[in-house]
Amino acid sequence: MALKGLDIFKLSPKKNCKECGSPTCMAFSMKVAQGAVSIDACPYFSEDAKAALNEATAPPMKTIKVGAGDKELALGGETVLFRHEKTFVSKTRYAVSLCSCMDDATIDAKLAEIPHVDYERIGERMFVEMVYVNYAPESGAEKYLELVKKAAALDRVLVLGCTDVEVAKQAVELVKASKPVLNGADASNYAEMSAVATAAGVVLGVRGADVNELYDTVAALEKLGNKNLMIDVGVNSVKDAFATAVQFRKAAIKDSNRTCGYPSIVRVGELAKGDKHLQAALTSVFTMKYGSVIVLDQMTYAEALPLYGLRQNVFTDPQKPMKVEPGIYPLNGADENSICVTTVDFALTYFVVSGELERSGVPCNLIINDAGGLSVLTSWAAGKFSATTISKFFAEADIEGKVKSRKLVIPGKVAVLKGELEAKLPGWEIIIAPNEAVQLVKFMKDLTA
Amino acid sequence: MGKFITIGERLSTTAPAVNRAFTNRDPEPILARAKQQLDAGAVYLDVNIGPAESDGEDLMKWAVQLLQSNFDNVPLALDTSNKKAIEAGISVYNRSKGKPIVNSADAAGRIENIDLAAANDAIVIALCNGEGIAKDNDERMGYCQLLLERGLEHGMEPTDLWFDPLFLVVKGMQDKQMEVLEAIKMFSDMGLNSTGGLSNNSNGMPKHIRPIMDSALVAMCMMQGLTSAIVNPNDLRLMETIKSCDIFKNNTLYADSYLEI
Amino acid sequence: MPFTAKSGKFNAKINAVEVGTGDKKITIGGENVLPFYTFDDAIANAPKVGIEITDGGLDNEPECVKKFYEGCTSVVDMAKKAATFEGVDFLSIRLEGGDPNGLNKPTEELVALVKEVAEAVDLPLAVCGCKNVEKDAELLDKVSAALEGRNAMILAAKEENYKNVGASAGLAYKQIVGAESAVDINLAKQLNVLLTQLGVNGQNVVMNVGTAAAGYGFEYVVSTMDRIKAAALSQNDTTLQMPIVTPVASEVWGVKEAVASEADMPEWGSQEERGIDMEVETAAAVLASGSNAVILKHPESVKTISKLIKELV
Repeated sequence: MALKGLDIFKLSPKKNCKECGSPTCMAFSMKVAQGAVSIDACPYFSEDAKAALNEATAPPMKTIKVGAGDKELALGGETVLFRHEKTFVSKTRYAVSLCSCMDDATIDAKLAEIPHVDYERIGERMFVEMVYVNYAPESGAEKYLELVKKAAALDRVLVLGCTDVEVAKQAVELVKASKPVLNGADASNYAEMSAVATAAGVVLGVRGADVNELYDTVAALEKLGNKNLMIDVGVNSVKDAFATAVQFRKAAIKDSNRTCGYPSIVRVGELAKGDKHLQAALTSVFTMKYGSVIVLDQMTYAEALPLYGLRQNVFTDPQKPMKVEPGIYPLNGADENSICVTTVDFALTYFVVSGELERSGVPCNLIINDAGGLSVLTSWAAGKFSATTISKFFAEADIEGKVKSRKLVIPGKVAVLKGELEAKLPGWEIIIAPNEAVQLVKFMKDLTA
Repeated sequence: MGKFITIGERLSTTAPAVNRAFTNRDPEPILARAKQQLDAGAVYLDVNIGPAESDGEDLMKWAVQLLQSNFDNVPLALDTSNKKAIEAGISVYNRSKGKPIVNSADAAGRIENIDLAAANDAIVIALCNGEGIAKDNDERMGYCQLLLERGLEHGMEPTDLWFDPLFLVVKGMQDKQMEVLEAIKMFSDMGLNSTGGLSNNSNGMPKHIRPIMDSALVAMCMMQGLTSAIVNPNDLRLMETIKSCDIFKNNTLYADSYLEI
Repeated sequence: MPFTAKSGKFNAKINAVEVGTGDKKITIGGENVLPFYTFDDAIANAPKVGIEITDGGLDNEPECVKKFYEGCTSVVDMAKKAATFEGVDFLSIRLEGGDPNGLNKPTEELVALVKEVAEAVDLPLAVCGCKNVEKDAELLDKVSAALEGRNAMILAAKEENYKNVGASAGLAYKQIVGAESAVDINLAKQLNVLLTQLGVNGQNVVMNVGTAAAGYGFEYVVSTMDRIKAAALSQNDTTLQMPIVTPVASEVWGVKEAVASEADMPEWGSQEERGIDMEVETAAAVLASGSNAVILKHPESVKTISKLIKELV
């Protein structure tokens, strides 16, 4: 965070001695804030004051890396509270939980289910990236360690939920090469847990009975020199978990409280107490507000489809348009004889248009042009969606070789292209669609009636 | 960033009608002028009762209560060299719409007005001049530092000192105008608030020229980070310029009707 | 050293708007903090949940919703039934059959239906038009007249018809006027200004600032709502302090994830579960962004979101 001259001035000696070359301490402070001079030009700035300033210029929230090799994930590192201010940099990651308290059949079923959700959406692979392995003391250490091994075989980043230092040590030992998170430090065991995590080189998750105990434990760990941490917002209540997630993020970003500047772990499965729809709702809330790793009881396509879409939206870079792959998308069981409809590759346009076309039930080939990921009018104005680019794309993608229909529906907003297109795509009948996608259902039905 | 804060300057003893009304405790002309300014979009109203050596305390109390009771506790700048009158005004002031502003302190004889503002949790306009107008920005910023330190010593929030670079008249000091603008940038870089009697720049110019000069200057000042100004809110061109600059600065959200609200 | 957070309480607040009459009356808005930030200050009124039925009745509902209305033979029956579902704060009827490009039902028929529904339930009401701006100008005018005294939400006045809808709902019949814009923050503000200039009391206006299903450009929804709340609360922009009402059902029950059949997408599993989760996750996200009320379709979604709100407020 950029420092204001005022923050520097407050720590300055206020002697106006001019030895730094500036007429006043205030003028000097301003130059330091602008980066025009080094603070070392002042012989009287105390070491404490310099240390405080260095601390203040450090990033407000740490970037914490978990997982190894190509599974490595970056968490945290955010600099803003709202996405319109600046892009969020580290998207929320989802984990499914296993517990040593579960019977073998349940465990096997869950292990088999976790890889089930795995698909691609606008160039992003959507799957369960992490597995949370919880230790229940009544199951005994043996069973837990076996479970950790089984979970490791899924080849996802692990979070070991275990507050028993001895068991944690053995579990970490088994999988430390894959850089799991050890989520187990609390007020009673933090020093020993920190030693285990540090020795294995893994991130340590911290929890507390309430927000104050949590904060104090994080501060105590920092004092021990461990800043490779995550914040478990706890499972006391939904309200407390939300309060901790938001207040820690706010304190880190707005008030430069570094002790709060770590990514979070939110165990929504436990918060929802078996209500799976409530779990879905909570996952959505914590994706919006500051969950770094969210732990669910299960992830089926029902939870996943809206959730990964939401995450893709929220964490998208506002400067970069979301694009879909150009090409032919057959809809409603279309074949080579079905009518063709064309539009641009802006993801939102694609989704809205394909959705309406699907609702019409009319088989058609949706041809997506390479238009730089811009909307219809914007790409048209930029020369990226013209008769020339469309006809060029048709040639490159060999549309005429793949489709027999010679009817092409173009967006109503670029009706002006009709004449030129007819000239450039001889043999094609160019049909003008309505201006708005919602009108497509009726239009398509009428067209093919 | 917050919206630009306009302080309406038209309740001043320098205007004969206002002076008469203050002397006779005649509410009508005061309320009429206040309403005109508020309707035009003034945020604060400046209440300049002059030196008011004999009855300042009574007059300021009367004016504060009159204005606040008629205009939903409108926030006010209390403008007089009589310190007791300012204190008396604050004693009856309602803060629900904003802290009172003490107008003003400087780095010479009136520095104690900072102590007064601090003691009363008020905002103070801090003029960056000493015995005379600062000769350059080194001197101006020296005064700024002096005033700021005084405020901090007395426990003020730095943002409650609104620094006034002193706007200079173009006819006579044309070559110093850019320095004033640079000083505003320095206040802003420090994270400090600023204000001033902006229309001083156009003193002595023909009447039809003044709004043009004032508007141009306010736009340049807002670019530099000026956060407030003491202005004539009934200057339509000026107010439209301020509203437009607030849009560019993202201080208010644009809507087609932005000039009407 | 205990954790001390700076309070994020604002001096400004969102307008508190009452909807409905009598015992079942609800209040929307009134908070001076960001959504669910109860640690900054108490939330004056918890967000409210509406259930949506349409003039199309049962035929118009997805299979998975129909079973909850078993035995209902009319829209009025459905309204009565909907009022009994857990977590329902208000009833919303969408008159989509009025669309001239669709069934083009006559205004009189739809108004008569709204009247019947209003007589059958004592819940606060919201009436959504058919989305055609010309037809809505006429339809919502007649609906406003028919519901006089019910203090209903009329959704909505748009840029093209705000004069008719505003004058009728807001001025003549004293209903709550919904101002609808489509994820356009400047237009959202402008509509509120125009309605107030028309003479409608800003305290009787709610906004539908537009929404999308999760995954369908939802980032624009988030930023629109975030920025509106920021302007309303931190800049004290009184032209944006109207509470936000978001009809979620009509967006989510059209997307592929919610409607694709199990035969078409076998690996996706239960269609009902997909529909509910799409509705629930979208609703939770718009509430977290600042909506003061949501309108949902599936009774399980209503129950879940109502529970979520109770847990968070």
